[in-house]
Amino acid sequence: MKMNMRCFFKTLLYNKNVQCPDSRRFLSSKEAIERRHHLFMLEKKRQIEKVGRIEKIEVNYKGTPKECTLVMNKNISTPYDCARHMSEWHADNSALAVLDGTVYWDMHKPLTENCTLEFQNFTVAEPQQVNKAFWRSCSLVLGACVTAAFKDSVPVKLHSFPGPDIRSGSFIYDVDLPTLSDWKPTPQEMHTLSAEYVILTRKGLPIERLDVSEQLALEMFIDNEHKSSQIPSIARANGKVTLYKVDKHVDISKGPMISHTAQIGKLAITSVHKLSGSPDSDVKQLYRFQGVALPTGVILNHFAFSILIERAKKLNSARSPISPFTDREPQSIAANA
Amino acid sequence: MNQADVTKLVSKLRIKVPPKHRRLRNAEGPEGRINKLRKTVTAIIKYERIEVNYNRGDEARQYTERLIAEAINHGDCHKPTMEMANFWLLEKELVHKLFKVLVPRFENSNSAFTRFLKAPRPAHSRNMDKAVLELRGNPFPSLQNRQANNRLLLQNVLLDAAKYDYRQAKYAEMAENIGKTESEPKEKSSDQKPNL
Repeated sequence: MKMNMRCFFKTLLYNKNVQCPDSRRFLSSKEAIERRHHLFMLEKKRQIEKVGRIEKIEVNYKGTPKECTLVMNKNISTPYDCARHMSEWHADNSALAVLDGTVYWDMHKPLTENCTLEFQNFTVAEPQQVNKAFWRSCSLVLGACVTAAFKDSVPVKLHSFPGPDIRSGSFIYDVDLPTLSDWKPTPQEMHTLSAEYVILTRKGLPIERLDVSEQLALEMFIDNEHKSSQIPSIARANGKVTLYKVDKHVDISKGPMISHTAQIGKLAITSVHKLSGSPDSDVKQLYRFQGVALPTGVILNHFAFSILIERAKKLNSARSPISPFTDREPQSIAANA
Repeated sequence: MNQADVTKLVSKLRIKVPPKHRRLRNAEGPEGRINKLRKTVTAIIKYERIEVNYNRGDEARQYTERLIAEAINHGDCHKPTMEMANFWLLEKELVHKLFKVLVPRFENSNSAFTRFLKAPRPAHSRNMDKAVLELRGNPFPSLQNRQANNRLLLQNVLLDAAKYDYRQAKYAEMAENIGKTESEPKEKSSDQKPNL
């Protein structure tokens, strides 16, 4: 009963916070980030408290140093906790967990039932899924980096990032900068962006995951019209929106992601391209931030890495979110005509 | 013609042997050194993988290689070989292991019988290099992570894609040049005619 009352007051508290009609008008981007982070932490706490009576599950661990059975807490313990029972090396180097040999699971997502558990790092024999998670996480951290890098006078509205395509050579984040209509970053500014990114990765922040309801997600992204217009279509499948948090930055993604940012090693933010939307779309232009990164511990010759950087400077051919047709098609039609 | 082939008298080791042996400083002199190495050789045959100080491990490795090579060449009915095995292996059941397990394992191998890897130095230790000495074909998980050629690693995927892009650009360039070279000579010839 006591618990229920507390929950009730808490929801009341942040609903009151949220439903204030003027909140949109007064939020600077920094305040919006703080608020979103606050809501994320409240919701996370609420979900953990909701578990109530703690039940135990058996997790069969497979891999080095030896197979063993761990007894963990249902809906509380994560694969990361299991890894910490093994060794520091397991906790630091594992990027993804594999449950029952098939399900790829975030390192920071609570386990729900009895299962077998394996850890995957970047040097396993078949690293496709780990690579994809890495590329996706790089995009996520790029979003965090871009919001942190600009001055308060420049509002930054993140739009989205496409699914990971490693062969394209660069990870992407499409960002709306409404006050900068024609911005061409100087090399110095690109260096600063890269430096911001490196600062984020060196902190070794865990990438936390949370499934929230559509309503709460809409409340969290009330200041960002792009995200709030995307949320209904995302939530259509099962009414839940998956959020990820790095530092204080909260973003929407399908996941899975890697364990923490210190697993991102050598990197460079290479270029910013302007994408112009079709005239009938409501977003006129976006900036596509591109970068390339390697996992920690990968040793790559600086010359080889410079080739990767040069390639990542070209505009990534991933579909632009604001023009439904790729740019090539009209051109080819024009050429044929 | 009747001269013995020298290379068959002494088994040739498949590892690099330094010109001089290490002294491995010891209070009992050379005998103490040999006793130390006997312990290491026994241990490597027994456990198949051991961590040792670098110098001692490197020295013991050469004796181990020689011992296994002799055992393969002469078999267990050769008296000097048996004496040698008896001397180097302090635990006598290991003599059986040498002839019945290790000889069949290494009979047809083309590489050295042992592997010698540098190991990390323990923190706050004396300045002593560590190494791992192991017999090839041991049952333990591999110490080396030789996956640089795995095409699926992230860096290899990126480099492959970059290579593919570069080739495509080159082919496009070549295709353009072919068109030009066909048209250019005509222009040149037409230019040259008036000069002639």
